[in-house]
Amino acid sequence: MLCLLILAGIFAVSVRPVHAQIPRIEIKDVLINRQDGHYQLSANIVYNLSSKARNALQKGIPLYWDVSVKVAQSRNWIWDKTIFSYSTRLRIQYQALFNSYRVTRIENNESESYSNLQAALTDMGLIKDLMLVKQSEMDPDQNYYAGIKVNFDREALPLPLRPESYVNSQWYLSSDWMLWPVEK
Amino acid sequence: MAGRKVRFPVSVLIFVLFGFVLLSLQLMSSATQESSELNELYSWLLIINALGSIILLGLISVNTVSLVRQLKKREAGSRLTTRMVSLFVLLALAPAAIVFYFSMQFLHQGIDSWFNVEIDRAMEDSLELSQVALDQRMRWYLKQTEQLIDRLSDKSEAGVTLEMEHMRDFSGASEMTLFSRQGRIIASSSINPSEILPSIPDEHIWMRLRQNSNYVALDPSLEEQLRIQVIVTVNSDDIQYLQALYPVPLRITDLADSVEFAFVRYQEMNFLRDSLKLSFSLALSLVLLMSLSAAIWVAFISIREIVQPVKELVKGTQAVAQGHYEQCLPVMAQDDLGFLVESFNDMSQRIARARDETRMAGIEVENQRAYLETILSNLTAGVISFDRYYKIRTANQAAYRIFHIQVSRFVDQTLLDLADEHKELAEPLRQIQELLEQADDIWEQRISFLGINGLQELLCRGTPLFSPEGSRVGAVVVFDDVTDLIQAQKNAAWGEVARRLAHEIKNPLTPIQLSAERLQLKLAGELQPKSQEILLRSTQTIVQQVEAMKEMVDDFSQYARASKKQTENIDLAILVPEVLALYALQSGVKFITAFNDNPLVISADRVAIRQVLHNLIKNALEATGKTGEIYIGLSRARKNNANFIEMLFRDNGPGINEDQVDKVFEPYVTTKAKGTGLGLAIVKKIIEEHGGSIWVDTVYKEGAGFVVQLPAV
Repeated sequence: MLCLLILAGIFAVSVRPVHAQIPRIEIKDVLINRQDGHYQLSANIVYNLSSKARNALQKGIPLYWDVSVKVAQSRNWIWDKTIFSYSTRLRIQYQALFNSYRVTRIENNESESYSNLQAALTDMGLIKDLMLVKQSEMDPDQNYYAGIKVNFDREALPLPLRPESYVNSQWYLSSDWMLWPVEK
Repeated sequence: MAGRKVRFPVSVLIFVLFGFVLLSLQLMSSATQESSELNELYSWLLIINALGSIILLGLISVNTVSLVRQLKKREAGSRLTTRMVSLFVLLALAPAAIVFYFSMQFLHQGIDSWFNVEIDRAMEDSLELSQVALDQRMRWYLKQTEQLIDRLSDKSEAGVTLEMEHMRDFSGASEMTLFSRQGRIIASSSINPSEILPSIPDEHIWMRLRQNSNYVALDPSLEEQLRIQVIVTVNSDDIQYLQALYPVPLRITDLADSVEFAFVRYQEMNFLRDSLKLSFSLALSLVLLMSLSAAIWVAFISIREIVQPVKELVKGTQAVAQGHYEQCLPVMAQDDLGFLVESFNDMSQRIARARDETRMAGIEVENQRAYLETILSNLTAGVISFDRYYKIRTANQAAYRIFHIQVSRFVDQTLLDLADEHKELAEPLRQIQELLEQADDIWEQRISFLGINGLQELLCRGTPLFSPEGSRVGAVVVFDDVTDLIQAQKNAAWGEVARRLAHEIKNPLTPIQLSAERLQLKLAGELQPKSQEILLRSTQTIVQQVEAMKEMVDDFSQYARASKKQTENIDLAILVPEVLALYALQSGVKFITAFNDNPLVISADRVAIRQVLHNLIKNALEATGKTGEIYIGLSRARKNNANFIEMLFRDNGPGINEDQVDKVFEPYVTTKAKGTGLGLAIVKKIIEEHGGSIWVDTVYKEGAGFVVQLPAV
């Protein structure tokens, strides 16, 4: 019986409506420009951490995000054709000894320390002149769009937090695909 | 074999299920270990286990619903199953709940006991200690660097480079670089000559430098070793910045790392305390839920298996109770229940055998009874059996033929009840009833009564029946209609008398007549007139009497002689008017005829039938005199499955006395002054020789009535 009650409690948490007044992830200042026959993407991803996430970070728990960028060709009858895709994994971690935040790009293990969280998050969210595709690779008769998606990796959280992270809106730190047309 | 086929997959299924449950729970338990590779699969394992539990709960619900339905229908074995399942669930749930409760308690207390204020403070203090130690070192390096900058004043660029080499050596820095105001490298010196490019401060540091003149911080950019980065402003003509990087000793780095790691770990654990409790509780609950559900489900299956033979037995017993003995229940196991099922099969087979034997015996008895009944019903004698209260039990067909009553319809009634309904038979039935009640032994009695066909004579034999213990259990009465037999005996006797009379008396009559005529002829002329008259009268008397005697003897011989049967088809509807025509002219009698059917053909001797008609008409004429009414009716009749032509003769004469009714057909019985009394006897004889019957119509009370029945063609 006890088990049933506990399970019921967990599911009750899961069905609680999500009150997300401000989006946790905002993507601003998206700029797709062409330079030397290349499309480049600049954007500013704003990470609005929830109090819970902020607290967890403060207690030394590293948080991971996967930022994906793609360029795809719109097609009417079949699924869209992805002609470019790029993904990077980011980690932010609090360093207690130095009272600083360290942002690491996992694929090249490049890391940087910041004395405050806001600076770390701002820098982490910066995409500057990301090379997308060559203009020559695109069919001038077709429509293309670029998309950015930020996905918070719940599975990278410590094990006890994982079940909760799926049911608690405080841990909804991902965004859907946000799309912009690529001007020709 | 069927039982094994069913059981095999179930047991395998149970093993597989338990294996799966254990594996899944073990995986989940392993996943909770931080170092485990399964760590990444934790969420999936949690979902799979939860799904497994839901499926198992679903199975239990389905089983429970099915059981409740069976209970409502009062199906065999459902109550036993319910009791066993309830008992099992209770026995399994109670200890599991207790263990679960205490486990949760221990779990929560155990996790809480990891954390306390002292450790909390110690952790923070140790971190602070590390920070203070590093701060001190940083301040000291800053001071040292500030003292060094004086040596750079008034030096050329080449001199600066050289001096910096000295300064770096002197101060123990790993790298020393002089930047211009714009950030350009003026001179640089490194402990590692291979590093050509010195590390360059970033934007934040430049901004800080512009605000403050100095900058000192730990540079965490190197993972393996800490460095202290010191930048001081060199106040010369043109502002310059001197950056010195001092390596922190390895031991101190390690210690600081260790303290930081422990602190972060502790902080993390403290933060995760509630989640940890929830997570462990969840895992524990899932383990308990899943193992309990699996156990209950398996209990359902096992109990069903156990109860199956009992169910079969109950069904079998119900079937046997309803008379279906052909039950052969499958023996599923060689245990006590299997033995019970075998015994049940044995018992039902024996009952079936006994039932078959009884049935066969019953059929045999029934055949015997039917055979006896066939014999009895085909007997010419009537047989009626009675129970101990003289109520009719059986009666055969012959009883109906004799009494003209369906006696078998009066089963369970006494003869007196029968007599009440059929008044015409009241007398003989009462007599038989009296004899039955009185007689203690076999009795025989001749009973005569007036039936619808005239006088009937019955020869009754009664036998009381006794049980082996000697008590009276009933009686049997056998009776024969001996009317015809007695009549035949009488007829034969009279025929013999007639034949003898004809032979013995007729022979001397002719000589007597001739002698008398001769006497008259010879003596007529010789005697005195007076004597002659006497002679004449005497001889006339003799001749007349002899004639009368001859006539009488002729009648006798006619009666004695078998009517020569030259049979032909005669239509009575034609013959009767022919005969009547002879009388219609000579008498004033009124003849009324009624012929219901046409034609009315019989097969008979024409002369003999004419004789019958003459005799009957004459008889009626003599009874009514010259002014009477004679009714002659002709119709078809059906009796004993045979067709008859019925002739009805009724007159309005004086009729027949009741005491004469049974004797009018005997010779020499007459109520009239004239006649030999043979007329009706001859009629009866002819009719009986033609297979017919004649009797006095006792229903008709206005005069005399006769009913003649002759077989129709």
